[in-house]
Amino acid sequence: MKVRRLSFTLSIVLLLAMLGPFGAAAQGDVVTIEWWSVASEEYSEEAQRGLVEQFEAEHPGIKVNLTILPESGFTEKMTTTLGAGEGAPDVAFFWDNNWFPQALDLTPYIEADPDLGPETYFPGFWTTRAVWQDKIVGLPLGVGANFVMYNKAVFDAAGVPYPAEDWTTDDYNALVAQLANPEQRIWGGDTPRGPYRAIWQNYGAFPYSDDSMTVDGYLNGPESVASYTWLWDLVATGGTPTPADLEILGTEGTGPVDLFIAGRLAMATLNQGHMLNAVEAGVEFGIVPEPQVPGNDRYVNAWSLTASVWAGTEHPDEAYEFLSYWVGPEGQRYLMEHGNLFPSIPSALEEYEGADTEYAQAFFRVLELKQVAEWANAHPCKGTVLRAANDAWDLVMLGEIGRDEVQATLDSLAPAAQAALDECRERLGG
Amino acid sequence: MINPQSAALLRRIPGRAVTYAVMTVLAVIFMIPLLWMLSTSLKTRWEIMAWPPQWVPETPYWQNYADAFAKYPLARFMLNSAILVVLNIAGALISVPIISFGFARLRMPGKRLLFILMLSTMMIPGQIKLIPLFSFYNSLKLIDTYWPLILPSFFGEPFFIFLMVQYMRTIPQDLDEAARIDGASTWTILYRIILPLCKPPLTVTIVFSFLWTWNDFIHPLIYLNSFETYPISVGLAFFRGRYSVEWNLFMAATLVSIAPILIVYFFAQRYLIGGLATAGLKG
Repeated sequence: MKVRRLSFTLSIVLLLAMLGPFGAAAQGDVVTIEWWSVASEEYSEEAQRGLVEQFEAEHPGIKVNLTILPESGFTEKMTTTLGAGEGAPDVAFFWDNNWFPQALDLTPYIEADPDLGPETYFPGFWTTRAVWQDKIVGLPLGVGANFVMYNKAVFDAAGVPYPAEDWTTDDYNALVAQLANPEQRIWGGDTPRGPYRAIWQNYGAFPYSDDSMTVDGYLNGPESVASYTWLWDLVATGGTPTPADLEILGTEGTGPVDLFIAGRLAMATLNQGHMLNAVEAGVEFGIVPEPQVPGNDRYVNAWSLTASVWAGTEHPDEAYEFLSYWVGPEGQRYLMEHGNLFPSIPSALEEYEGADTEYAQAFFRVLELKQVAEWANAHPCKGTVLRAANDAWDLVMLGEIGRDEVQATLDSLAPAAQAALDECRERLGG
Repeated sequence: MINPQSAALLRRIPGRAVTYAVMTVLAVIFMIPLLWMLSTSLKTRWEIMAWPPQWVPETPYWQNYADAFAKYPLARFMLNSAILVVLNIAGALISVPIISFGFARLRMPGKRLLFILMLSTMMIPGQIKLIPLFSFYNSLKLIDTYWPLILPSFFGEPFFIFLMVQYMRTIPQDLDEAARIDGASTWTILYRIILPLCKPPLTVTIVFSFLWTWNDFIHPLIYLNSFETYPISVGLAFFRGRYSVEWNLFMAATLVSIAPILIVYFFAQRYLIGGLATAGLKG
């Protein structure tokens, strides 16, 4: 009797399941393309579904099947399908440079498209996110950048004036020391997420030579030593969260926005998504670029997301039609008006509803700086070399070397970094 | 005058008190993450990182639970998980005893080698199998269906088979022989004689199947494309945005999602621990 009852229950469950996701998808008369995306602060699921509706209304021969994936699983799913060489979407974000070899070369489409081209987008994003090895592998969607956000309430409570846009790295350290209040568990500011980003480049520091041949004199050159020494001084103020603090209290590696909004971090290096969080939370804040080094070029760590057509698509023309709509002026305007996207198209960005606000103006000015990604994208071995030299970062962050040991530490790491560069150059080129 | 029994009892009281005190402290320490989840789920988003931390929010924000359910179809996700759990448990209960019985009781050339081969598959990291398995299921047109998530359980999970084989080997062969003399077939011996004696490893199989299926994130993520088919493990990941996490909603949703696991564990813990102990896996 029990077995019968169990069999009956199992049959019902199986039947219910068969009605759901066990059947095969029906084939329609129109061309259906698969689009994988994520929902974020900038483009919600609703906004993207609205974009699809609008596109389908204007293109009756194309149906777009949108799959919204969780942010934390998108990379794994794309890597699996691209690795398998099958089952990948026709159109998707190709935000990992390792995926570019599997992106359709859009050069013939762009050359034939009178409405879309390099001049449509911010030049920096076109060169860093659309072009790869002389091919056009995608189009850049949206703009993002790191900048320093400061919490006005914490500054006011400490009686400290707000930072100016032309502030320096020394100013930053001085402010961190002034604003830190251990009794109230308030940190003055955070540390950079890693070396050789905006502040390192502001010092003129690069991990190896521009021709990707030499580490000595670069990783351990005077500019790098100055950058690491600045970091040493910053950590020595005692006004920054430790790596362990940030690991626990940061937000899943996306930045310590919750600490900033809670008023426990007076200054934080955040991005435009966090900026929108702060606006939503009603926090009074200001934005300044990452601090400069007087007399040097000033950089910003900025990005855009590459959206591409998969090279294995069976419908390249329809896929490009949708891609150019999504990432073109129409799509980016739609996502700006129905979400919070900051378009990578200057003419569209000018129409941003809150363009006159203080924070948006400051954000737009940050975008005018030179981009860290220009050097990084032209030097694919950067990550490999930095991993080989990572001890320097860790030792400084953990306070395990003296200020006068920075040079010797970098000198000691240069041979390993050179070996990593030589090996990587053979593999990936300069 | 205290009798000797009472005296012995009294002597034991200080020791017992210390034991219970230590166990209570440990229990509280182990409960902290759960209590923190509960506390976070009742705060507004920007109260979470405030200092000093408030364990009990001044105004509990129960609305977070409603908001979490309004934001994503969590009930649907949990139903999907339940369907997968039932089917995976069914698959395991069908396949594991049959395969285990073969390894533990039947004679066959190469059986030992096959058993070692099966065990060695446990040592292959799951990530390595993802791409070949995806290709396999894609070639069968099974992507975006539940089949890739349930079929493996109908072919036996090596860990459960190992557990069951070890347990079956402890059951005397005399039972089989007696049954066979009485005219029982191999199937009858398995289902009427051996399986009723295998409750501990069967319980472990059911509970672990439940836990693994309920918590599995990567396989549903890889094999499913349709939003409405996602299980709760994937659904919860939507609370993590590109730039931030809505911790309060995330914790509310997570608490609801782990409720079935806690309930199952509450009722099954005696059998589970007993099963692990009798199967020789307890540390």
